[in-house]
Amino acid sequence: MSSVNYVTDEVKKLIGYQTDWAEACDDVERGAIRRFHQAVMDNDATYWDDKVAAGTKYGGVVAPPLFPLHAHRRPPGTPDPLDRVSGDPDFDGVTRDFGLGLPPIPIPLPRLLNGGNQVEVYQLARPGDRIRAKSKYVDIYQKEGRSGTLVFILVETIYGNQKGETLLKSLQTHILR
Amino acid sequence: MTHQQVFFDDVEIGQEIPKLIKGPMTNAHIMRWSACMENWHRIHYDRAYAVEHDKLPDVLVNGSWKQHVLMQLLKDWAGLGGWAWKVGFQYRDMDIPGDIITAWGKVTKKYEKGGSGYVELDVGLRNSRGVESTKGAAVVILPMRGGPPVPYPFPVQ
Repeated sequence: MSSVNYVTDEVKKLIGYQTDWAEACDDVERGAIRRFHQAVMDNDATYWDDKVAAGTKYGGVVAPPLFPLHAHRRPPGTPDPLDRVSGDPDFDGVTRDFGLGLPPIPIPLPRLLNGGNQVEVYQLARPGDRIRAKSKYVDIYQKEGRSGTLVFILVETIYGNQKGETLLKSLQTHILR
Repeated sequence: MTHQQVFFDDVEIGQEIPKLIKGPMTNAHIMRWSACMENWHRIHYDRAYAVEHDKLPDVLVNGSWKQHVLMQLLKDWAGLGGWAWKVGFQYRDMDIPGDIITAWGKVTKKYEKGGSGYVELDVGLRNSRGVESTKGAAVVILPMRGGPPVPYPFPVQ
């Protein structure tokens, strides 16, 4: 059985596409840090205890190392993706632009999986920081898996703060199947 | 936090670092994380969608959550005097409600660079069903006894 070629010329053109710096819609908030470290179940005092954190190399409370990966949320006043849920039983709740201003990948595969990530951490975000990110499609390719065709989408992102300092680099693998 | 700083000098190749255990994971834990990061992917909270539409065994523990467990493992080991610099991992299998997840790390290599101690490790997440759901490798910087502090912010490379 010959497989469908999902990586069409239209898709290939997106390889190398790079966004401009995109700012998160909110500053890094203490409440967001708290919800994050509680959900990860990491009670490190540098995330919440001003006294303890002030005595460390950070000089104050910081966010967990990979917090910037999730700093970009849907800005106010933009269309609600959940409007689609009731009318489209196939909609999985996730838009295919990966939330960082990249153009959606026009591949009609219905299922999205998180394939993995490679991160490099340079500095931790702090309350009041405004995180910005710059993303690039570094590769898009397909492979035949046991359950059919898998398309791998590699997204490289640099996360920085409002001072232009690099916080984190990430190379995320998304899989469509 | 009282944390005994680990020094590069004391690390041995083949050594296992202290494990980090999370769980048993429940739907509530998965829902809490999904809501925290505003991830509305239905495979994490809509069991009917996960099982019937996506043919999954149950709702899934988010990969986006699992990466923080690996990071916490490394950060806690590095301590405030060290730096968990780099970690790469692949999600190879699924973790579901009921699973207890153990993060582990094993030292594979150590070398000195610019006055700091670089330690390479194999890392992974293993669940209570014996499935190695996540595998990867990491680089952690540790201070050397009598050496300079590991720089913070860590120099971008």
